[in-house]
Amino acid sequence: MAGDGLLADLVNEIPQGLEDLLVSDIVGEEISCVWTLRNGGREFAAKEERDGDERPRNGRSGMCGARLNEIPTSTTTPAGQPGFYEAAQPLPLPGAEFDQAFPHPAAHPQSSEFLRGFRGADQNGFADAWDEIQRSNVPPPPLVAGPPTTRLPPTLDGPPQRVLSSFLHSFVGSSRGGIPFRPAPLPTLGLSQGDKQCIRDRSSIMARHFFADKSEDFINAQVNALLSSLDIDADAQARGPFPGRFRELEDYWNESQGRPGPHAAADGWISEFNQHRLDRDPDAWARSFEQQHGSNGWVSEFEQERQLAVTDQMRSANISNLAAMEQTRMLAHTLAQNNDPKFQNSKFLQFVSKMSRGELIIDDNQVKPSSMSAPGDWATEYQQQYTPGTWADEYLRNEVPHGPEQWANEFAAERQQNGAVDDQWVNEFSKLHVNDWVEEFGQQVNDGTLGENSADNWANAYDEYLNEQVAAKQQSDASRGVYVFSDMNPYVGHPNPLKEGQELFRKGLLSEAVLALEAEVLKNPENAEGWRLLGIAHAENDDDQQAIAAMMRAQEADPTNLEVLLALGVSHTNELEQSSALKYLYGWLRNHPKYGALAGPELSGSLYYADVARLFQEAAEMSPEDADVHIVLGVLYNLSREYDKAISSFQTALKLKPQDYSLWNKLGATQANSVQSADAILAYQQALDLKPNYVRAWANMGISYANQGMYQDSIRYYVRALAMNPKADNAWQYLRISLSCASRTDMLEACDSRNLDILQKEFPL
Amino acid sequence: MASELKSAAILELLKQYLTTDEGQQLKKKINYVYQINLAPKKIGFDEVVYTIDLKKGEVTKAPYEGKPDVTLSLKDEDFVKLATGNLNPQMAFMRGTLKIRGSISAAQKFTPDLFPKVSKM
Repeated sequence: MAGDGLLADLVNEIPQGLEDLLVSDIVGEEISCVWTLRNGGREFAAKEERDGDERPRNGRSGMCGARLNEIPTSTTTPAGQPGFYEAAQPLPLPGAEFDQAFPHPAAHPQSSEFLRGFRGADQNGFADAWDEIQRSNVPPPPLVAGPPTTRLPPTLDGPPQRVLSSFLHSFVGSSRGGIPFRPAPLPTLGLSQGDKQCIRDRSSIMARHFFADKSEDFINAQVNALLSSLDIDADAQARGPFPGRFRELEDYWNESQGRPGPHAAADGWISEFNQHRLDRDPDAWARSFEQQHGSNGWVSEFEQERQLAVTDQMRSANISNLAAMEQTRMLAHTLAQNNDPKFQNSKFLQFVSKMSRGELIIDDNQVKPSSMSAPGDWATEYQQQYTPGTWADEYLRNEVPHGPEQWANEFAAERQQNGAVDDQWVNEFSKLHVNDWVEEFGQQVNDGTLGENSADNWANAYDEYLNEQVAAKQQSDASRGVYVFSDMNPYVGHPNPLKEGQELFRKGLLSEAVLALEAEVLKNPENAEGWRLLGIAHAENDDDQQAIAAMMRAQEADPTNLEVLLALGVSHTNELEQSSALKYLYGWLRNHPKYGALAGPELSGSLYYADVARLFQEAAEMSPEDADVHIVLGVLYNLSREYDKAISSFQTALKLKPQDYSLWNKLGATQANSVQSADAILAYQQALDLKPNYVRAWANMGISYANQGMYQDSIRYYVRALAMNPKADNAWQYLRISLSCASRTDMLEACDSRNLDILQKEFPL
Repeated sequence: MASELKSAAILELLKQYLTTDEGQQLKKKINYVYQINLAPKKIGFDEVVYTIDLKKGEVTKAPYEGKPDVTLSLKDEDFVKLATGNLNPQMAFMRGTLKIRGSISAAQKFTPDLFPKVSKM
């Protein structure tokens, strides 16, 4: 933060400054900031001495707390404090204020109240007061009068104030010797409630700095003595929240106290800024801070600030602080959201951000020799240090490092860089025939041809699109033939998962069998039987992607396994992948001990369906009693969509193998695909009689009902299939379509959220 | 044969389906003519053109003679996804994977429920 020397210097200078402050606090308003600037540094020193390395950031938060109490009370909230909560959620951005406030004073209740006070004071001899300040070194009246001043009659050097002033000086003086402060009888000072609170708050805070080396009891005694003399209730609201004050500061205060602050408000700054602006030349003021601190992006500063805050929260591990952290984050976020270049470059914000961290205070270690700090000095000080100039002039001279023009130029330059991309996008978009689209759209909207929901549909579609991007990423593995394992597999670690998987498969518990078999192939990745059965289970569970992935692993482990080759041929046929299907079916033939001789090596290069079909026909003539060859032939005819031939092949095979449930399903599917849905349902029923948990047959039932327009029935079958395998993605899609076709859009939500409980209750089978 | 599009199976099924009672109802319900330009790999290249005439209830592997209500250009695999309910056509349009020329109301009726589902062996 700052060198020890600097801090030590500051500490030595403090009593003088504090004295000024405490006194002027009551009688004046603007000095507070000077105090903050000068003496905040001492906070660090004092705090660091006390806390050592234990909580290094305490200095900062403690300072914020002190600063909170430094804020003039002139900005008292109007009755009922309406402004206190109203701005809590949508923060009025300081930038907007900044734009408007120059010609017209701010619209905030606080500041307008304040401004009324200001104008009132002006009419009541503000100019006279000003002259008086310029002439004398006497502790002057507030340059800007607020409610406290309006409450206290404008007797600028009236007796009560003098009494109070000397009394406070004596309190401060007691700190030098560390002697107990004695209560003194005082005349009635006519302090308002606000003044009392102000004194109470500030004295309790400052006493902790005066007597940083003393015990808490001593400090309390000192403060109580002071307060009792002034007839102020020491407990009431002391160090509590300060409604109507500067909310942002209050948050810092709360943060420093480990309390969640109720607000992350920016208008505190606005009011503060307005006040300073009115006080003196605001341009010079702003500029001076610019010169001191350069024009680093305040956003990044806030980011740092936030990180600091986070670290601190972690350290203190105080959950309630998380709320405060959130406040800080929100504040930075809110500010960062304002894209107004004027705002982003505003020195005011830089000032605020630096000030909030105390950097400003340390940097500005200018110490005034005068024991009496006149309100005017604050601005004069800057006038002396920095040649007066206006902010506007600066803009004209283009001295602001990132002035709006430059910002605009930068933006333009950036746009040129990105221009190519933009143009590409535009070109791409125009290729979509947007104009046609738009014209058509406008026309049809006027015609009323579009359904009333169409706009919603499109909006929803866009959301879906975004979701799909994520889902597509996850799915890409599966579609590339990579097997996707389940998470949290309970069978991992099972002593014999293959046996368990086979047992589960026999029982028809396909999804359980899948898990056990996954455990097996994780344990023995080269186990062809494990992969094969896993592939079969997936196929029966209506998941061809996973079936293919598993079967490909099985084929790697055992390249000539006929069952694997047939299964791959079937699954690829289901996925409409003709050439792959043909390749595996031909592989089945080539690797068959009996028919392999039929397949000459000349066919292995490029395959033609007709050649493969011819070979299988030969095989079938060779062995008409071999069901398998009829099955493969049936699959082949499916590929060529010669469904009648396929159906008769399967029927032939079924005569030989009537107990093969998957054969019944193949027959049904073929019938369904040749729009003989009624027959298909009978075949599926056979399959389900043989294997009640055959998910694929249930799903196919649903398809057949749907293709006959019996959507209600189809829904029941889809739901049944999904109840057995909730991972059957196709069935979910089909269910969705059937639901909308059956006008059961009320159930779409349950479908989209895959809520089987609701669906099963609604559509029992 | 082996180089045939996946979509062909679905379109063949649709063609058959349009001869059934349910298919006749679909014809009445939609009553538009769609021309589909199916691309094996990239839109605009090696396109295979189908016409789904839901006024007459026909599917032909040829461009429509006349002006279709809407022409849709998309990849083969996206057509399969669309027909199986795995791709929302509006979403596909936004992605640029489905390009549309013609009537928007006709395009909006080009949804998965238009197509009979393929059963699996």
